Amino acid sequence: MAREIAGIRAAVFSDADTPGCLRHRILASLLIFLLVIAILFSLGVGAVDVPLKTMARALVSREPLSADQRAIIFGIRLPRILAATLIGSALSVSGLLFQGLFLNPLADPYVIGSSGGAVLGASLGVFLLSSFSIAGFGATALLAFVGAISSILLVYSLARVQGRTPVVTLLLAGFAVSTMLSYSSYFLEVLDRDFGTGLRVLASWLHGTIAQPSWAQLAIVGVMVVFGLIASVPLARRLNTLSLGEEYATLLGIPVQQTRMAVIVVGSLLTAAAVALGGLISFVGLVVPHMMRMLLGPDHTRLLPVTALAGAVFLLLTDTLARTVIAPAELSVGVLTAFIGGPFFLYLLRRTKQETLL
Amino acid sequence: MTPLLEFVETSFSYGDRLVLRGINATISDQESITLVGPNGVGKTTLLRLAAGTLLPEAGEVRLQGQSLEHIKQRTIARSVALVPQNVDVPFAFTVEQVVEQGRTPFLRMFGGLQPADREAIDQAMELTDTRSLRGRVFNQLSGGERQRVKIALGLAQQPKLLLLDEPTQHLDIGRQWEMVDLIRSLSRKGIAILASMHDLTLIEGTFSSVWLLSHDEGMRKGTPEEILQAELLERAFKYSPRHRSLVEERIRGRRERVV
Repeated sequence: MAREIAGIRAAVFSDADTPGCLRHRILASLLIFLLVIAILFSLGVGAVDVPLKTMARALVSREPLSADQRAIIFGIRLPRILAATLIGSALSVSGLLFQGLFLNPLADPYVIGSSGGAVLGASLGVFLLSSFSIAGFGATALLAFVGAISSILLVYSLARVQGRTPVVTLLLAGFAVSTMLSYSSYFLEVLDRDFGTGLRVLASWLHGTIAQPSWAQLAIVGVMVVFGLIASVPLARRLNTLSLGEEYATLLGIPVQQTRMAVIVVGSLLTAAAVALGGLISFVGLVVPHMMRMLLGPDHTRLLPVTALAGAVFLLLTDTLARTVIAPAELSVGVLTAFIGGPFFLYLLRRTKQETLL
Repeated sequence: MTPLLEFVETSFSYGDRLVLRGINATISDQESITLVGPNGVGKTTLLRLAAGTLLPEAGEVRLQGQSLEHIKQRTIARSVALVPQNVDVPFAFTVEQVVEQGRTPFLRMFGGLQPADREAIDQAMELTDTRSLRGRVFNQLSGGERQRVKIALGLAQQPKLLLLDEPTQHLDIGRQWEMVDLIRSLSRKGIAILASMHDLTLIEGTFSSVWLLSHDEGMRKGTPEEILQAELLERAFKYSPRHRSLVEERIRGRRERVV
């Protein structure tokens, strides 16, 4: 697989000796282009096809869309597209942050249990607070954040052995914590008061489905994601320094504990944002940063923008596939990402073992 | 004149184990000093105290007259660089990316590398002869190459004082001499150096003074000729008398070669 990727790399970037900076720029522009194409494509396909030509004409010559087309595009597809891009970016960037934090390329919000914590938090919000919903979705998102941050703190303290996080302890601690959390969410069913909505929401969360978000929900998550991405910029550079180990980072004037805490907070914020909209979508935070690292190397400052972009493209395409492949029925996008991400994860695990990457 | 770095009655212990007791020593501009002593005597600890990553239990370490305790690590890192013994990098960072880390104390939160930073990095790689390695993956380098890259990282901090922890450890004899040459050339460039060394035969002709640390007698300072005496070394390193002639022979042989 590495060879295939190297092949793609050689094909896309004909000159392997170009400075990394140029390669980075090419990749970033390519991804922006892909994102635009993916959005247009996704706007067009579905139960009712809206041809690209019609959309272009509506945009350029103001030849209006029909009321149905408008309702479908602005009422249904656009919010979902925005949700998919936000979730994809958020999951990928939090994966990147967690991999840098754990110094372990197998970390991902799903694998290490922070998604599970977010689901539990969010379920608590739906089941307990729905009756007196203070800020509605805002409270749910906040609880998802609390859940994400508590579970990652737990995994982090369990998995660290003498300042490192070996694959084995990371995976075991993450597995134990996330399983416990997911089943606690099932347990919450008992507390369900209105027998129905809560259960359905929970079920879709545990499968990882991007439902039909309202504009208010999108706004809340949008703010969380944008804030998280901006906060990741200074953290990315510090993660580079932290990769040299605690001693070096301290020497060079990085406040190690504060930085780690900041990474946990920002990563959890992004995880919570993603989970509040889409639930447990597995492995995106693993696959996307890893692909980008294969193309650009491990410099987090370079990886950050392309990871955010690639995450958006990846999840948008997967979600579009999920809602069209067995139309008129829909697949949970989490099912697809698990199909793609699971084997990739196993491949990484195997490779890690061989090369003793850690 | 205020010395560059000064240990004033500096003591340090790990839990109950007292490692350094009442150390008094100074490093002046452009001096090059080696730190020798048996394993576990506190050489690495002393270097960390000098770099400000450990704080003394009693006494002070002063950088240009100011106690390190009151200076931000970021500020210290702009004049003092420590090159630790072991570094182990989990991802495939290139040599250039590793050396770039030396500019961390100079960077602003949202700003990237400026031209001045690029220049410092370039110069550091030039001095250590690591330019040709810049695109290589750090983890795939040989021991000697790694050591030079680590020193380049330290030099990218543009330090007045470079602290080296066992720079010749795990190097073959050819790479050891390369390292010694590098230390000499850095010293000629006006960078003060404090390096801990195990191989006593590499000291003469390289360093202007020697600090000998021993468990019982604390620190003894002097020129290489004064300190590298069989009797002093025997007391500090506690080797058995039957090895005395061997040590003497090795050091004398080296001295004759230098002279």
